[in-house]
Amino acid sequence: MRLRWVILLAVACGAITVFFPFFWMAVTSLKTAPEIQRVPLTIAPDNWLNFGNYVEVFKREPFLRYLVNSAIVASVAAVSSVVVSSLAGFGFAKYRFPGRDVFFLAIVGILMVPFQSVVVPLYVWMNEFGLLDTYAGIVLPDLVSVFGVFLMRQSIEMIPNDYIDAARIDGASDLRIFFSVVLPSVKPAIATLLIIKFMWSWNEFFWPMVVTTSQHMRVVTIGVMSFTNMYYIDYNLLTAAAVISILPILVIFVTLQRWVVQAVVMSGLKG
Amino acid sequence: MRQWVRLAFPKTHLERRKRAGFLFVLPALLFFGSVFIVPLAQSVMYSFYRIQPGGAKEFVGLGRYEKVLTDSTFWSAVGNTVQLLLFSVPATVVLALAVALGLNQIASLKWRNVWASMYFLPFATSLVAAALVWQWIYEPVYGFLNYALSFVGIPPQKWLQSLVEVKPAIAAVSVWVRIGFDTMIFLAALQSIPQEYYEAAGIDGASAVQRLRYITLPMLNAQIIMVCILELIFNFKIFDQVYATTQGGPAGESQTIIMLLYDTAFKFFRFGDASVMAVFVFVTLMVVTLLQWRFFRKPIEY
Repeated sequence: MRLRWVILLAVACGAITVFFPFFWMAVTSLKTAPEIQRVPLTIAPDNWLNFGNYVEVFKREPFLRYLVNSAIVASVAAVSSVVVSSLAGFGFAKYRFPGRDVFFLAIVGILMVPFQSVVVPLYVWMNEFGLLDTYAGIVLPDLVSVFGVFLMRQSIEMIPNDYIDAARIDGASDLRIFFSVVLPSVKPAIATLLIIKFMWSWNEFFWPMVVTTSQHMRVVTIGVMSFTNMYYIDYNLLTAAAVISILPILVIFVTLQRWVVQAVVMSGLKG
Repeated sequence: MRQWVRLAFPKTHLERRKRAGFLFVLPALLFFGSVFIVPLAQSVMYSFYRIQPGGAKEFVGLGRYEKVLTDSTFWSAVGNTVQLLLFSVPATVVLALAVALGLNQIASLKWRNVWASMYFLPFATSLVAAALVWQWIYEPVYGFLNYALSFVGIPPQKWLQSLVEVKPAIAAVSVWVRIGFDTMIFLAALQSIPQEYYEAAGIDGASAVQRLRYITLPMLNAQIIMVCILELIFNFKIFDQVYATTQGGPAGESQTIIMLLYDTAFKFFRFGDASVMAVFVFVTLMVVTLLQWRFFRKPIEY
């Protein structure tokens, strides 16, 4: 019995440690510049309602624009990923055609290809097609992920063949079966994929940085970076920007966490 | 060949169905082909050619490989990446395993979920934001870490600005971000271990340590190895955290392989050299993944 309490205490202490950076980010964002330079430091801000840093963030950088950009890119990526992945998942799970297994293996094999290994040719292509510094350019490599195809195939495989055959006997076309039988049966998987893909795209940093040049095309992850430089950083502003950038995703994540956990458990994919 | 012609021009009902199946997967195939397969082939090609500003290509064979692979900057970046990984991978896996074992002991489902979600929270944040908040915690003069350590009599450290401490400090950020992800996988696996095993062990009088050693860990073997490989891959590609904070410094001590690739390609626009690095990263990760497939048939546990 004593052991149980020791374990609980350890788990709780660990959790609080893991949570601490969030707390520290939030309190720093409510402090003024002189406040964060106190020695020894004070934990609590002098005024818990000092939102001056947030105002300043929006004043210094077009942060609203960054948020909108991220929202556009992440939404398009999430929706397109669901569409393409569920189509492919249906094809892989419920049809037989020459090359099916090879194609599926090839797609899963793409997990081995790190994005950084294809970034230079992609950049050259984007340049050629005039897609540098455009929404299309940012979102294009992010439209589908292997994880999505895998997840949808697994889920659609669970649908009893009888349902599909019954619809076919009733004279439904393949596409009709997809929309009225398959999609309604895999709603949980669709929700999972929407959330997790939105989250991944929102947090994407490497490719948006490669492909964007002008300020108004930046996404929030890059927006946060604009509050840093090699010599001096206003951490009160930086933490405010960081809070703004992660708050939307954190809200989604906490409310819909059940789905995300399911996705992680189901796959452990996406290194 | 004939079956492909049939696929394009179906005659029977069954053939039409095959075509439908193929058409369903076609968009995904086109996407992955044009965003991964073709560019990967091009990366390999770029690494063998010199491309003139006019567009003329000149075959240089292994010349580029010789140049990049004998460059000490390249190997020091590889060395740094491996050292970072040696700090972060074992720490992440061991801590995640400990947390999962602890969480599994909590009887109340509700409380278990509450504590678990706190560990999971960093997974949702961008690496950039995470790294910058940690940079503030590491700040030598005003940062929280040195303040906290002052209570146990440890003098202020320079952390990210120190040649010695920069790697563990960056590795800690990776651990923080990844621990929840791994914990979730372990926790799910723990809950699928049949309770009877423990009951039987209890009857035989096995101690808690023995149960851990002879039941729990062997049952988690597949997940432990999978998580190790995933962490290896994740940490080998480390970029965001370093770029956002140290930019490879101090004195190149945190320069990683992807950082070097990025600078080579997009700062100095030496696409050929960057392609050699791209091929190197791909081959390395492929070997790691194939080893995993070789030893543990199923690449994914579900």
